[in-house]
Amino acid sequence: MKTMSRFNGVIAFVMLFFCLLGIDALAESNRLKPVTPDYKLSFPLDYGAHDDFRIEWWYITGWLETADKKPLGFQVTFFRYATDSNRDNPSRFAAKYLIIAHLALSDPAAGKLMHVERTVREGFGLAYAKPGDTDVKLDDWTLVREDNGRYVVDMRDSDFGLQLSLTPTQSPMLQDQNGFSRKGPKPEQASYYYSEPHLSVSGTVFRNDKPIAVTGRAWLDHEWSTAYLDPEADGWDWVGANLDDGSALMAFQIRAKQGGKVWAYAALRDASGNMTLFDPDQVEFTPVRMWQSPHTEAVYPVEMRIRTGDIEWQLTPLLDDQELDARQSTATVYWEGAVTLTRNKQPAGHGYLELTGYTKPLAL
Amino acid sequence: MNAATVSRWLLWGEWRAHWLQIVTALLAIAIGIAMAFSIHLINTAAFNEFSAASKSLSGQSDLQVQGRTAFFDEALYPRLADYDGVALANPVLELDVSVPGKQQNRNDHRLKIIGTDMFRSMQIAPDLLGLTEEGKTLDRVASDTVFLSPAAMEWLQVQQNDTLQLHAGLETVSLRIAGGLVRARAGQRIAVMDIGALQWRFQQLGVLSRIELKLRDGVNHAAFKAQLASDLGESFVVAEAQDQEKRIANMSRAYRVNLNMLALVALFTGTFLVFSTQALSVVRRRQQFALLRVLGVTRAQLLRQIAMEGLTLGVLGSLLGLALGYTVALLAIQLLGGDLGTNFFPGVKPGIHFDPPTALLFLGIGIAVTLLGSIIPALEAARAKPALALRSGSEDTAMAKLSTPWFALICLTVALLFTQLPPIFELPIFGYLAISLLLIGGIALMPHFTGRFFSSVLRRWPQYRGNIVSTLALARLANAPNQAAIALGGILASFSLMVAMAIMVTSFRVSIDSWLGQVLPADVYVRTASSGDQGGFPPDAQQAIAALSGFNRIDFFRTQQLTLDPNRPDITLFARPVDRADARNTLPMTDDMLTPGSIPSNAMPVWISEAIVDLYGYRVGDTIKLPVGAASNEFLVAGVWRDYGRQFGAIQMLLSDYQALTGDLSVNTAAMWLQPDTTSDQALAMLRQLPFGAALEISRSSDLRALSLEIFDRSFAVTYLLEMIAVVIGLLGVAASFSAQTLARVKEFGMLRHIGVLRRQIFALLAAEGGLLTLLGIALGFALGWAISLILVFIVNPQSFHWTMSLHVPWLWLMTIAVILLMSAALTALLSGRRAVSAQVVRAVREDW
Amino acid sequence: MLELRHITKGYAEGRKVLTDLSYRLPAGDYVAIMGESGVGKSTLLNLIAGLDTPDSGEIVIDGAAISSLDDDAATRLRRERFGFIFQAFHVLPHLTLAQNIALPLLLNGNEADARVVRMLEQVGLQGRGDHFPRQLSGGELQRVAIARALIHRPKLVLADEPTGNLDPDTAHEILQLIRAEIKANGATGILVTHSHAAAATADRVLNLTKDGLQAATPGGSA
Repeated sequence: MKTMSRFNGVIAFVMLFFCLLGIDALAESNRLKPVTPDYKLSFPLDYGAHDDFRIEWWYITGWLETADKKPLGFQVTFFRYATDSNRDNPSRFAAKYLIIAHLALSDPAAGKLMHVERTVREGFGLAYAKPGDTDVKLDDWTLVREDNGRYVVDMRDSDFGLQLSLTPTQSPMLQDQNGFSRKGPKPEQASYYYSEPHLSVSGTVFRNDKPIAVTGRAWLDHEWSTAYLDPEADGWDWVGANLDDGSALMAFQIRAKQGGKVWAYAALRDASGNMTLFDPDQVEFTPVRMWQSPHTEAVYPVEMRIRTGDIEWQLTPLLDDQELDARQSTATVYWEGAVTLTRNKQPAGHGYLELTGYTKPLAL
Repeated sequence: MNAATVSRWLLWGEWRAHWLQIVTALLAIAIGIAMAFSIHLINTAAFNEFSAASKSLSGQSDLQVQGRTAFFDEALYPRLADYDGVALANPVLELDVSVPGKQQNRNDHRLKIIGTDMFRSMQIAPDLLGLTEEGKTLDRVASDTVFLSPAAMEWLQVQQNDTLQLHAGLETVSLRIAGGLVRARAGQRIAVMDIGALQWRFQQLGVLSRIELKLRDGVNHAAFKAQLASDLGESFVVAEAQDQEKRIANMSRAYRVNLNMLALVALFTGTFLVFSTQALSVVRRRQQFALLRVLGVTRAQLLRQIAMEGLTLGVLGSLLGLALGYTVALLAIQLLGGDLGTNFFPGVKPGIHFDPPTALLFLGIGIAVTLLGSIIPALEAARAKPALALRSGSEDTAMAKLSTPWFALICLTVALLFTQLPPIFELPIFGYLAISLLLIGGIALMPHFTGRFFSSVLRRWPQYRGNIVSTLALARLANAPNQAAIALGGILASFSLMVAMAIMVTSFRVSIDSWLGQVLPADVYVRTASSGDQGGFPPDAQQAIAALSGFNRIDFFRTQQLTLDPNRPDITLFARPVDRADARNTLPMTDDMLTPGSIPSNAMPVWISEAIVDLYGYRVGDTIKLPVGAASNEFLVAGVWRDYGRQFGAIQMLLSDYQALTGDLSVNTAAMWLQPDTTSDQALAMLRQLPFGAALEISRSSDLRALSLEIFDRSFAVTYLLEMIAVVIGLLGVAASFSAQTLARVKEFGMLRHIGVLRRQIFALLAAEGGLLTLLGIALGFALGWAISLILVFIVNPQSFHWTMSLHVPWLWLMTIAVILLMSAALTALLSGRRAVSAQVVRAVREDW
Repeated sequence: MLELRHITKGYAEGRKVLTDLSYRLPAGDYVAIMGESGVGKSTLLNLIAGLDTPDSGEIVIDGAAISSLDDDAATRLRRERFGFIFQAFHVLPHLTLAQNIALPLLLNGNEADARVVRMLEQVGLQGRGDHFPRQLSGGELQRVAIARALIHRPKLVLADEPTGNLDPDTAHEILQLIRAEIKANGATGILVTHSHAAAATADRVLNLTKDGLQAATPGGSA
């Protein structure tokens, strides 16, 4: 769901389709499968793509450090989207699946987010999301999971890009009920969802064709579903963080249109793998500091206090302006940024915060 | 004295006294400029719009890759997308699809559908992105949707969410109109579909029309293009955006140049009229100028005075012409379309843009020709010895200097030489130069010829007896030929052009008519409703057609477009049964062919059109390589046939060879010969009853012939209009010059009235002079026009359109025009001679200055 | 020969030129008419020639009332019985001298015969019948005009300032020639002139004033 916003950002028409018709799509489609609690995730098969579901994404966020100890935030996303409308078309061009990718880099020195997005149809070996193991390609952008579990990302654009290898240091973290992640009050409002926290990163960031060696720590989400968004949903706040003690925190809330929340969830896994799950009423997001975007005049709670059970987390952004204004290309806006966390006021780790639905719904 | 004041007085006085001539001259310049300017405006607008529309389809690509034939395998697409240096590869499938219910307009019943991958094309040709209803953006990649430009919606009378029926081969396809192409150009009739949907629904799976490439920054385009071309081999053509423009320019260049030339001819006739007006006016005022010289006006002042008059005329006339031309262009574009009804620029609606530099250029041309027309008589007037000029009767001597036979003879000789020269840039520049030189030479020779001719008539005339009117008329024409000839110049110019055009058009029409008989020998022609390159009849449909009773013979044709040279428009390839032993039994052959029966049995023969010979240099007996089949194959050029249908060239080959080489067994057209007891209506009914009958375009050859000739006539409508205008200008010239001469001869008429010449005899004299002169002009114009028509038929047409024809003269029509012209000229002479019998004439004898 | 009966002629602008003018000119007379500019000499000549019609009154020539004829009849009368000599000669430039002289014969439906050659001789241009007017001097052109005026043996010759464009010596020759030819052909002649010397070559001199035509006193001023 957090990634849904990214989806928004990436390509507006898909977002509209997804957000407005997402619920009905399940009923309409006799081919795409619903998400059910009885499915048991199995690896490495579920690292790969699931063509029977409408939407699927691989989403990586993380903190990097250059040789001179300068921090950078990055996010890499690949989507697979089933159009579900050209199944009978034998043409190799038939738009059965779309592949969408998004790359963003947060550099405090630059003072704002750099981002680029691409959308193409799957086909001709130019773009695909393969089943079996993570292997996604969009022209020359690739995300591949090697047999040893290491992910390799290669995404270059004209003025920036990155080549990273991300090595797992922990086992996958199956969210909610062993990877069946509820997104709303109704049971069918759900996705399959696992994370790989604490990925150890090394590689190169490119700025204006200049390579900069980097190391760091990242978080990967892989989530797939057919339909799950509640009609009452207004937007969502999400955080995923690698904590310094080796534990991993993920929390989100779906805000209701009338105020309050539709749903919420949080999970904290310690270094030894013990999961603590929090019910919707145990999770609470409280804005601390608001920032108004000079680009869109939207107001975001860029500093947030989150309570999970009796733990209080405070989030501070790497820089305020991590708004992703994609109105020029895809007509949507949200905030997606690197944050530092304190746990009960003690420095605790680094993560990514996503804030969506803070601007008016966008019309094409 | 204040020279400027005198100058003004003189100018004003002259114009007030002879306002009719001044108005005529103004009109002549204005019409000439207006013709030239409006044609230029229309052509430029149409061409630019057509070019812009084509460009909007290909967007801002750096390179385009196309096959030699219309379609190629889509496997090239991933190869190019991954090719080093390519930033973006945009695959495009483009089809011209037949619209049910629009077939009656055979020339204009297709809708261009562009199949794109919007994710690729939006970065290279954003204008082709369809606008969907809110929330239905996925319609852009759906398999059942189409997006239409506003002009296409208007043409098809549909709107968003309507269902559009289109023919695809033998089937009918229904598509939902999901939205518009709001950024399409005005009048641009196009549709956009998802490329996958287009491939599937229109049975073109696996093929593309072209791939547009955007290169990475810093890639050397020329080097990349060369490398890619050599990697892809000769089955593909790599072209730059400029090449595309050149190709479009090439397509209509001959048409545009020829129309411009016609416009210049109108301007030329106008110029001549200015010249004659000025010359006559100067001659008439010789005594006045002589007086001024006596009073102390210098030569230079006099020259300036006359040039000033010309300049004023030129400026006023040209400005009037520009305004007129602009208006005409606006009207013509609205009424006839940008190609003036010729269909050279289909599917665009150009707007006329006033372009100041061009307007200035035409203003300059107008002023220059007027000045030129004034300067020559002005020089003569300035050089004249005042004492001599003061005496009456010296006018014709003055005119004699304006026309030496040497000049005329040189013009004619050079014209003759020019007819022997080859085209420049594939345009018949020398042919047109020869035409103008013939005209100039012919007109310059006119006085000489008039004098000689009427002198000899006069010598044979029963001198001192009989009809005094004819004696007077002949004597005048024989002994004062120069003034007479000037009056004639306009008529000569316009009539000879008319004769030339009439002979050319008739020759063309007769040739086309007999050619149509040869190329449409069957009774009924059946095409699939889809167009050109899509082979419409699969083998089973062919069998169904062949199984029909009532036909003696059925031939199947496969036609498609072939790119031989990326800079030139595509040629047309016909694969059909041809009598291998003697192609004359099948095709309208020229004499240039191999001896019947001499084609080696192992050779694959092709028969090429004349345009192929001119454009590609292939000769009979040559072995040529053509991109037919998987690789290029060798063919033997067995003969040259005549083709008036495709000026960019066409090649005929055996259907059996084609099928063996390509494995493509589908055909586009079936030519069917009826059995004697079958009527064409019965045949049509049988064809309609076939399972795929609804999707067939069935035409009787008689209808096709009628339609072709109708299109032909429409193309030449503008030509006829130009001719008429030239003739009207010529008649205006006769009117102007006769009324000027009547005025100059007022004393002569006064004396004649004194010594007992009747009023009606004066009228008869004027009519006789006008008539005789026009008769000679017509005779001479006919000779000149015939010579010009030879240049048009045998030089201009083959060089610009690459077809030859035989000469045919429309005698009846020319005779009718000649009689009408003769009568109008005599009438004009009469009308303008009204003053010759007025009361002032009588007094004029006594009012010597 | 010529009788003017109560001729009145005015113009549109209201100016009366001739008022109740009467005069009788016997056949065979050769008279000169003098008068101030604007007194109506030209008008009178036009009326006599039938080129204009009087407002009232009658002009009778040789028994025919030319003033009441229509244009065609007047023209025919003119071509048969009149000869004209103009100040500016008015010889057609594109006709030869012989052709110019022969014009009246052709107009009257006769053939151009030996008379043309004889006439050329009489006016001193023998052998030059094939020449064109542009090759001639002013005096010679007026000789051609005289020949043209007399070739068809007209009853009445009207000469309007025939020497106005000529030098005195040539003028004298021409006046003598006109007189001689009129007399030789037995015609009646009217010479309109400003010149006393010219007028003196006529039989009598008449003064045109607003009171009418009166015989000038010999030697008196006009």
